[in-house]
Formats: sequence, structure tokens, C-alpha cells
Amino acid sequence: MQLVINGLVIGSIIAITAIGLSMIYKTLNFVNFAHGDFVAFAAYIALFANTSGMHLASAFLVAIIATIALGIFIEKVVWLPMRRKNASRTTLIIISIGFALVLRNILIFIWGGSTRNYDIPVRRGFEFFGATITSNQVLVIFAAFILVFALHYLLSRTKIGKSMRALSDNVDLARISGIDVDRVILWTWVIGLGLAAAGGVLYGLVTAIRPDMGWYLLLPMFAAVILGGIGNPYGTIAGGIVIGLSQELSTAILPTEYKFAVSFVVMALVLLLKPEGIFGGAK
Amino acid sequence: MIEYVDTLLPYITTILLISSIYAIFSLGLNLEWGFTGIINFGHVAFLAIGAYTTVMFNMSGFPLFLSVIAGIVLSGFFGLLLGIPTLRLREDYLAIVTIGFSEVLRFILLNEQWLTRGPFGIHGFERPLQDVIPYQHYNTFLLILYLVILAIIYLSLERLVRSPWGRVLKSIREDEAVPSALGKNVFWYRLQSLMIGSAIAGLAGAMLAFYISYIDPNTFKPIETFHAWIIIILGGTASNKGTIVGALVFCTFLSVTQFTNRFLPFTAHQMGAFRMIVIGLLLMLLMMYKPEGIFGKKEELALSD
Repeated sequence: MQLVINGLVIGSIIAITAIGLSMIYKTLNFVNFAHGDFVAFAAYIALFANTSGMHLASAFLVAIIATIALGIFIEKVVWLPMRRKNASRTTLIIISIGFALVLRNILIFIWGGSTRNYDIPVRRGFEFFGATITSNQVLVIFAAFILVFALHYLLSRTKIGKSMRALSDNVDLARISGIDVDRVILWTWVIGLGLAAAGGVLYGLVTAIRPDMGWYLLLPMFAAVILGGIGNPYGTIAGGIVIGLSQELSTAILPTEYKFAVSFVVMALVLLLKPEGIFGGAK
Repeated sequence: MIEYVDTLLPYITTILLISSIYAIFSLGLNLEWGFTGIINFGHVAFLAIGAYTTVMFNMSGFPLFLSVIAGIVLSGFFGLLLGIPTLRLREDYLAIVTIGFSEVLRFILLNEQWLTRGPFGIHGFERPLQDVIPYQHYNTFLLILYLVILAIIYLSLERLVRSPWGRVLKSIREDEAVPSALGKNVFWYRLQSLMIGSAIAGLAGAMLAFYISYIDPNTFKPIETFHAWIIIILGGTASNKGTIVGALVFCTFLSVTQFTNRFLPFTAHQMGAFRMIVIGLLLMLLMMYKPEGIFGKKEELALSD
């Protein structure tokens, strides 16, 4: 039971952080290896705001805004010019790795390599069917639910959300039906990185904040994306929960250090056997 | 003047030693990426396999030379094992799977302490001719040995890529449909390229172990793979000469920046981070503005979709 709860908490964080990775992957047709470092960046901004006296809730908003601003900046100076040049998928992947190195080491440069925590009171957990849940864990699951519902509303009811779905379904088709592609891509970054930032701050609540946290989240996120079908936000959410659960449940039989390997094995199996994803993903 | 030479010479020897190891490691990747167009983000795994196999075979009683051969063969064999299921995947999937492979291998090395001593690492193992060569000249000896190995690898690779076999590799990189229409088994050629590239990385692993005379799993983090990528892109993709020059430039940069914190108000760990920021920016800028590197040819880039 404890493992299930831990798995759900980590799974919902993987889910909301991976949505952006998935949508960008499909819309821009490249894997953003720097996505995890955006997650870490958000956690550090929240840490900075929080330790300089801000309440965690407002620090949360500051972190999201800062992360989105950074994402828009990179879109304008790197990704948009590269798209204009018709850069290949491989070029974009290597550039994203370069940017991941830059971002991660800026975090190390400013805040050092050690583990940090938010300045919040530590509360005792409460018992639930023989398992201990902390209030932070409840908060994480609750916040993830709200974000997922907000996303669902956005994607199904608003014009921009529908354009985003159209774009991640088929870019060319979206373009000829009159959608302003560059503007929608910008919105995809905003939504995707906003969710990633929220996930990063929440992740800092249930574990600790480290400069390489983004790196260790990246492979589970890839796994969730591929499991759910690239470009399919609902599949990605399901994929995230599955990966989170399987990572935590694996610790019942394997050493905890192999958590990371579990998501890799799940992902490799899906790629080799059913590369279009399990949850009715796009082709 | 004499004192100056006395401190400068060992320093240059060190840079050249590291450069020769990185050069061989990167030449293996250049065969895979530069000449065949395979995206391998897990190249460091084969460096690790080569280093650990050599050291562990030797410690269980095999002669040193045979242990190095075992390291090379086993690296190539793991290249085969990794390649068989994955080389048919799209390039972005291949990138994710290979990087995941190298990380899973590092976790195994860290956790299976009965086999590898885990995070404590292995030291005190035999180095080539260590009883014959006087200690103060050992690095000089190693440098001569490594330069000879580098020359052999370079010349064999040059022959290989100019052979009919190498031309098939290049044609695969340009457009897989053409060689397969001519009846070439594209998958098998790609597999061979990955095996040879991995075996070369295995040799570099043994050389690295002998040079630093200590190995632990965290020597083999993914960043080493990206160092090789930067070396190749800097020197010029699909140019073996460029890769060697790239290794020299890159290792000199790494080494020289270890002393620049005398001039910059940074602590040691800030300097390390600063160096990585520069490396990351370099990688981004090269890919954005000069993807063909110093010696590469634009038409030989495996970047077009």
C-alpha cells in the first residue's frame, strides 16, 4: 500500500511534467533532452523565492512564470531560427543536449551541487490503510488532478487548445486550415513548460532538490511519453502513472537503485514491440 | 629555464595522454555517427565495458595482453547485443535507448558490488610493463605506446572507410534505400559499424584504466559520451583527422581551464560548472552555425532527414 501511494505521487509528477515533452516532441518533431532541466530550473527558482521569504504558494507561481519566460526566450533565439533553417531532427536533439548542459550547470554554478530543501515546516504524516501519507503527498496528488482537469478544459474547450491538438496531430494539415503555427507552438511551450515547472516544484516537495533531478526524471518521462503515444497528452498521463507505479512497486523485489532501470526496460519493451504506444497513441 | 621545462613537460605529457585516449574513443563514435549515421548516445558504456573487463580479467589471472583483447572483444559483443534489437529504430528512439543503456550499465556497475566493488572502484591493478619501466618515466612510456596505438587505429580506420565496405557505410548514411536497392544488407552493415566502433571504445577504456590506474562507475557518466560528440563535431564529422585534432583542442581546453580560476573569482566547483556551461554553449553554437566543424565537409553531414 505504501508503495502504491508513493508510486501514485511520483507517477502524477512524471505525468504532468511529461505532457510538455510529449506535445513538443510531436509538434516540433524532436526530443527535447533539456526538458528535465527545465523541471529542475523551476524547482530551484521556487527554492530561491521560498528561502528569500516568499510563501511557497507564491514561489510556485514565480517558478512557473520564470520557467515559461526562459522557454519562450529559447524558442525565440534557438528553436524558431533553427526551424526556419529546416534543421534536421538530429541537429535539434544535439542542440537540446547542449542547452541541457548549460542550464544544469548554471544551477550548479549558482546553488552548488548539494541537496536542498524548501523552507517549510515538516509535518507528520497520517495513517491510511496501514500506510503513511504526508500532507505534501496529498497536496501533490491534489494539485496534479487540478492541473490535469485544467489542461483537459483547455484542450477540449478553447480555440488555442484545439489548435494545439490539431498541430500535434498533423502539422501540415493544421497549417493549411489556417492555424498560425508559430503562435500555437509558442502556446505549446507555454503550456508544456508551465506544467513541467509545476511538476518540478511539486517534486521538490516530496523529495529533495538537486541539480541532476531533471536528468533522473528525464528517462521516466521519456518512458511515459512513449508508453502513452507521442503527442497524446491523455496517454502520457496514463503512461506517467504506470511508470511511477512500476518504479515504486519494483522496489519490493529489486534494490531501490534500480528504479531508474525499470522505466528504461518498460520503455525499451514498448519501443521494440509496439512503438506507437499502448494507450491508443498517434501513428 | 630548466625548472620551467621540468614542470611544463609532464603537464604537456598529461594533456597528450588524455587527448590520445579521447581521440581513440571518439574515432569509434565517428565511425558510427560520422560514417554510418548511427546516433549512439551511449558510447561511454563501451568505454566502461572495456575498462572493467580488462581490469577484472587481469585480476583473475589472465595475462595483461589477453585481458585487453578480452575487453575489446566483449565491448564489440555488447555492441552487437545492443544493436540487434535497436538499430532498426528511428534515430530519436535510438538516441533515447542508447543513453538509457549506458545509464543502466552504470547502475549495474554501482550496485553489483560482488562483481565490481561498486562505488569504491578498483585500483592497484597491473599496468603494462610497470615492473620494467622506472616510475618517473612511466607516463612518457605510456604516451609513446598510446601514440603508436592511435596511429594504428587511425591508419586502419582510414583504410577501412576508403574501402568498398566504407563506401557502403557512407551510402547508408546518405540514403538507406540506395544500398538496399543494390542488394546490400543495410542492417548488417550498420551492425558491423556499431560493433567495430564499440570495440574501439573498449580499447580506449583499457587505455583509460591504465592511465588513471583507478576505475569506478562514475568515471563513466553520460557526459563522456557528449565529450566525444563535441570532439567529433568540433573536428568535423566524418573526418578522422578532424576527430584527432578535435580531441587535442578539447582536452587542452579542459586542462587549461583547470587553472583559470586563479584569474576568475570562482570556487573550484563553480569553475567546473562554468567549464560545462562553455562546453554546452559550444555544442549549441557549433550545431547552429558551423555543424561541419573545422575539417568536415558540409556534404558529408548525416543531418538531412
